[in-house]
Amino acid sequence: MKLRIVLIILAALGIAYLVINFKPAPAAPQTTDAAAPSSTDPQTTGATRLPRLLDDADAVPASFAEAPMLAERVAADALPPIEQRLPAEPAVIAPTDEIGRYGGTWRAGFTGPADGQNIDRIQHNHLLYWSADVKYVTPWIIRAWDVSDEGKTFTFHLRKGMRWSDGHPFTTADIMFWYEDVYQNEQLNPVRANWNQIGGQEGVWEQVDDHTFRVRFSQSYYTFLTELASLGVAGHFTRGNQALGVFAPRHYVKQFHPDFVDAAELDVQVKAEGFETWVQLFKFKNDPKLNPECPVTTPWLVKTPVNTAQMVLERNPYYWVVDTDGNQLPYIDRIVLGLAENLEVLNLRAIAGEYDIQGRHILMEKIPVLLENQQRGNYRVRYWPSQAGTDAGLFFNQTYDGDAEVAHWLADRDFRIALSIGIDRGQLNEIFWLGLGLTGSACPPATVAYSPGEAYRQRHAQFDPDRANQVLDELGLKQRDSKGYRMRRDGAGRLVLEVQTIGAAFINFTGIAENVTEQWRRHLGIQAVVQELERSLSVTRHENNDVQVYVWSNDGSDNPWAHPFQVLPNHVRSWAPLFGRWWQTGGQKGREPTEPARRMVELYEQGKAVPEQERYALGQELLKIYADQAYVIGTVGVSPAMMGVWVVSNDLGNVPESVPFSTPAQTPGHALPEQFFFRVNGADRPGT
Amino acid sequence: MLTYLIRRFMIALGTVWAISILTFVIIQLPPGDYVTSYIAQLEASGDIVTDQEAENLKRQYGLDQPVTMQYVKWVSQIMRGNFGMSMEWRRPVGDLIGERLALTVLLALAALVLTWILALPAGIYSAIRQYSPADYTITFLGLVGLAVPNFLLALVVMYMGFRYFGANVGGLFSPEYIDAPWSLARCWDLMKHLWLPALILGAAGTGHLLRIMRANLLDEIRKPYVVAARARGLQEHRVVLKYPVRLALNPFISTIGYTLPVLVSGSIIISIVLSLPTVGPLLLKALLAQDMFLAGTIILLIGVLTVIGTFISDLMLMWVDPRIRMES
Repeated sequence: MKLRIVLIILAALGIAYLVINFKPAPAAPQTTDAAAPSSTDPQTTGATRLPRLLDDADAVPASFAEAPMLAERVAADALPPIEQRLPAEPAVIAPTDEIGRYGGTWRAGFTGPADGQNIDRIQHNHLLYWSADVKYVTPWIIRAWDVSDEGKTFTFHLRKGMRWSDGHPFTTADIMFWYEDVYQNEQLNPVRANWNQIGGQEGVWEQVDDHTFRVRFSQSYYTFLTELASLGVAGHFTRGNQALGVFAPRHYVKQFHPDFVDAAELDVQVKAEGFETWVQLFKFKNDPKLNPECPVTTPWLVKTPVNTAQMVLERNPYYWVVDTDGNQLPYIDRIVLGLAENLEVLNLRAIAGEYDIQGRHILMEKIPVLLENQQRGNYRVRYWPSQAGTDAGLFFNQTYDGDAEVAHWLADRDFRIALSIGIDRGQLNEIFWLGLGLTGSACPPATVAYSPGEAYRQRHAQFDPDRANQVLDELGLKQRDSKGYRMRRDGAGRLVLEVQTIGAAFINFTGIAENVTEQWRRHLGIQAVVQELERSLSVTRHENNDVQVYVWSNDGSDNPWAHPFQVLPNHVRSWAPLFGRWWQTGGQKGREPTEPARRMVELYEQGKAVPEQERYALGQELLKIYADQAYVIGTVGVSPAMMGVWVVSNDLGNVPESVPFSTPAQTPGHALPEQFFFRVNGADRPGT
Repeated sequence: MLTYLIRRFMIALGTVWAISILTFVIIQLPPGDYVTSYIAQLEASGDIVTDQEAENLKRQYGLDQPVTMQYVKWVSQIMRGNFGMSMEWRRPVGDLIGERLALTVLLALAALVLTWILALPAGIYSAIRQYSPADYTITFLGLVGLAVPNFLLALVVMYMGFRYFGANVGGLFSPEYIDAPWSLARCWDLMKHLWLPALILGAAGTGHLLRIMRANLLDEIRKPYVVAARARGLQEHRVVLKYPVRLALNPFISTIGYTLPVLVSGSIIISIVLSLPTVGPLLLKALLAQDMFLAGTIILLIGVLTVIGTFISDLMLMWVDPRIRMES
């Protein structure tokens, strides 16, 4: 009985504590830096220092060194010496601040088998990759490339002597195996990938020699390089589970492919492993996150898979990247990701200092508590803001056909503009972004190369309810009902818009939508109903063109060619599903697109065919239309709201103060986690 | 007697069959399927799924077969002891549930034992001292325990544990023991983590049980046989414990039927809040992801346990209380 009394008193105290401590979010958490020991942090120089890939041959160090745990294995003859494991032309990284030291375990959290992106982003497995500031494409697994034939032919050079994590050589055989036997296998890949096509024609891949391969297109396709560097294509570690990922360990996975083994034997194996078809078995075996046997080319290899209570990764003894002193990377020995069944637990663990670096799943609303516990938890909070225009945009379905009156208004530019200037974005910023975001349209900030400038960043984004009301009146929506709501023109009562959101996302879309619709009600007399849908239902409704307005972030809008999905209407789950279907089916299904949506896609297609310098002007024109038409009404953006709040242990070195958060470049991958290191001795740290 | 048992058994079998159909229908009810929820989940986690990949997935999983076909396939698999492969976890469903079942049952048993230890004496005491200050206090606390949702209690206790005791947040093991083989140290580590969720889980149950115990006993204690027993000079504690308490326990026994499934499903919300590696979070995730075979098997398991539990409690009642007749 006593226990219960104690417990109840505890509970009461807890509630009281929460109530007393509840206060509105601070305008901006300015105490970030003051609270942390900053002697070792490279903050004084102003501009953030970033790690960098050195791509000239002179940068390759004369001698190499390896981690103690690998040296032991070499001494025991369990592993060949370092010189035989590294390629003749390793990738060389200049670390963020300093040469690191080996050892330690990086503790982090994940939420289950569907959270594969968590580890994909750390491993950043791509043929080409992005610079840390996400401004240009760099070599990665591909050491160098030549573009010839006006951007129709690409010749790629691999690193001679590079190896898979089991020591087997990595050559063009692995790329051609993927292209010929995996990608072109009708059962593994019944549908052709968009990124390997231009003008409706597929790219043709061919082997030149063991370390050189060529891809030919029938038209100029300069952005093929951008595609290879980005999430859409990615590599074996990220997309092997879908039989994509541009390369595969031929020597290992061919034993699960019917072109290489006896069909009857394969069938026995399929049944023995509990699968129904060889396709399922192959995709399972080719997924290193699920199958630790599968060789990789990533900094860490998987020890226990992602479908267990603790995912463990350990250094890859054949990793082909070194620092400027010739130390083989990664510095950190191990990564341990603990399963958290819900985000509250994950965030509380971060607050308690149980993670060394964690940005994914850290919720923005936790910033005050995170800051409060910095010293106690021996970490610092860093902000890695996205460069996208809006973290929560209202996407207006341009091809809605469920209700003619509503469809008319959704497609009316002036109507959208009125709704846009009827939003007080400053209020949203204070409530949901703790003042850390920038208000504006859906257009990315002027600092981005593709940005058409600050004027478009602010296009239709100034709060002006009087003008909004005047526009709505002039459009023929003057009639109001007894409660003050505007009426439909067809006499069927009040005009009601449906705004669709999903819950359990990284950003509180539903809360933001509720606030926006409340502002519309108060300022404009427009009624909008927020519907939070179960995720699967939201996808189904979107694909069926049943959604009027939906809320999502427009990540990737800073580079429409790296990540066009939230900007362009040329795919089904976009702001014009029927146009998207039309483009996807070559005009067979869907609805023929109208201007200026059509113009946007034209500009995008044109941009694919020109080198980067010429592409900027096209991107600016594209984003001008995007902002000017207000297909997507921006609210607040350029903030760390989407996975951009990072909890970084004070023991860690070489973690950049800030990098732009990027979906196509897979943050924190472009901050090069292999060069993060622990300053203190591994043995003194928890979890090792 | 034997015919009674056989009849009950046949009814139980029929019920299980009905449950299997119902389970399947429930899982098929929400719109979309595993592929749509997979796409939604990937997009919500900052990944992208191109239209081509979505099309690939739909063909791979063959989710376009008619529902009846899918049901027949599922049931015939189960008959052969194969619960299928989880779509989300890509592991056999039997393994997934198996590795979490022991901890789930342990947690629920611990909570149950705690509940009974607290609730029965308190219930008896407050019945025989009706309207005394102690009775009022117990009643008050019992009602508070009933009224405070235990997920809230879990959140508050978890925050307190972190803030003032520096305890590991959530989970049933410290990180170093999660993958470790069973040993004395690991058991001790488990014990250190287990008591808190068990206590939280038991809080509401305690309030509930002690109210039932009190009410039942109050009914019994006023009956003439108790007066007669007292009149014959029996000691008070013997009067109470020997007869009315035994009778008051009847409703407890008849609810044992529900206790069995509660062992598996009772801790769902607490487990999610406290991030415990039990069946609860597995079920929730499976339902959200529309992972048919996994969700189906867990729901079926809970259903079957309810049937078995009811069967057992019928038998026990028959044994404890001879007044219950075997014919309907």
